[in-house]
Amino acid sequence: MGKKVNKIICRCEEISEQEIRDAIREFNLETCDEVKRLTRGGMGLCQGRTCEPLIERIIAEETNIKVSEILPFSKRPPARPIKIGFSTEGEVGEG
Amino acid sequence: MNRIADVVVIGGGVIGCSVAYYLAKKGAKVTVIEKKGGLCLGASGSNQGGCILTFEPPFRELARESVKLHENLSSEIGYDTEYRKMPDLLCSVDEQRYPDMEKQVQDLRRNGVNARLLEGDEIRELEPTLGKDIVSGIEVPDQAEINPFKLTYGLARAAGKLGTEFLLSTEVKKIETDKGKIASVVTDRGEIKTNFVVNAAGAWSPEIGKMVGITIPIRPQRGQIAVTEPAPYGRWRIIEDTDYPPAAFNKEEAVEISKEPRVKFRVAGTLLQESSGNWLIGSSYDFAGYNNAVTMQIIRCLVRRAIEFMPKLKGVNCIRAWAGLRPLCYVDGLPILSKVDNPSGFIIATGHGADGVALAPITGKLISELIIEKRTSIPIKAFAFSRFRSIKAE
Repeated sequence: MGKKVNKIICRCEEISEQEIRDAIREFNLETCDEVKRLTRGGMGLCQGRTCEPLIERIIAEETNIKVSEILPFSKRPPARPIKIGFSTEGEVGEG
Repeated sequence: MNRIADVVVIGGGVIGCSVAYYLAKKGAKVTVIEKKGGLCLGASGSNQGGCILTFEPPFRELARESVKLHENLSSEIGYDTEYRKMPDLLCSVDEQRYPDMEKQVQDLRRNGVNARLLEGDEIRELEPTLGKDIVSGIEVPDQAEINPFKLTYGLARAAGKLGTEFLLSTEVKKIETDKGKIASVVTDRGEIKTNFVVNAAGAWSPEIGKMVGITIPIRPQRGQIAVTEPAPYGRWRIIEDTDYPPAAFNKEEAVEISKEPRVKFRVAGTLLQESSGNWLIGSSYDFAGYNNAVTMQIIRCLVRRAIEFMPKLKGVNCIRAWAGLRPLCYVDGLPILSKVDNPSGFIIATGHGADGVALAPITGKLISELIIEKRTSIPIKAFAFSRFRSIKAE
């Protein structure tokens, strides 16, 4: 194994390139969601806005799958962080 | 791709991976088939990681054995599942429910569960983040939390080391039988000859059942969860809303006509702070077919109740919300851990509802016993498929 690469990939959760590469190798991961779930990379406040393309490239390098064929993070609401006090405005039954 | 396996496990969730591991440990050659491109992508990966067990019959033996297995699993498989003891605190904001709370403590104790009743400020001494509205609580010390991803992948890795093969992005198309016995599983990537099939497809298990002509009474039950940014509040206990436990939604008609949004939307509160500091605010028990989208109505409901319980959460950001589909048995809500009469060699391991992660190790162990030893170490008659006399398909 080559030298450790300690560049930070996910700034929110402070996950390094090495942690991501180790997880991909150890568990044969091929999707961004799997990497997220096992390393926490992409789980932070920005929900992968910064690290998603980086994680895709690392998966591509480790697995020989093309970047365009790698499943990105699944997208879930909210689009950006929202104070949970929002729920006390308006009626409970409102959408 | 033509292969041979002793057992084919359908479903790469926590149950499928556990079944594979316990079978492989006994020397069986196992193939796990998963429709999606990774493991743990259904209910196993969309829960809160609470490992809360029910010790009421018929779960008592299962729960006790599953705790023992969970406690030793990390060292056994050489990978930390992050199983940690964490007390459960059942909270009520309703003064009139005090007699119910007293009775609940007695029931828990009768089932051999350590529990104590708390009032008013006694609760806030234990959990200073809880709001003034909470008037009574029951502490159940012997519960736990776990990292469901690490549990699933840890079991899969251990099974892999023992020779289990994982076929991802592979869909089962047909199950062939010969004279009433399982003969092979046909997938979109070839056929696997086998004498045993374990249906661990969770909410999708009825589709697999249809392939051998049986109706499995499972319905997808959606669980919606909101997650906050890390918050600096102490984490000590799992906080549960005992005024609306999931069992409150069993009376279908009452739920339909209720004007109380939390009842109508089937929202039961469970608050759990992860070691990272993120709060997981769950969960709903609603039905929307196979749609696993989150709905604003339910998230609003969940979060509003969470703020009643913990006013300090109000200023914290919600960063994500998700939903998963639990496999719920619509006849009696109990798991199905069973072989079937016809075809022989077809085994069902699903219907765990919200307890899949908590019951995964014991499920894997029992199913491996059912296949290899033909008898189980604890009785599982209550979970037999034969308990359904006549089942109506949904």
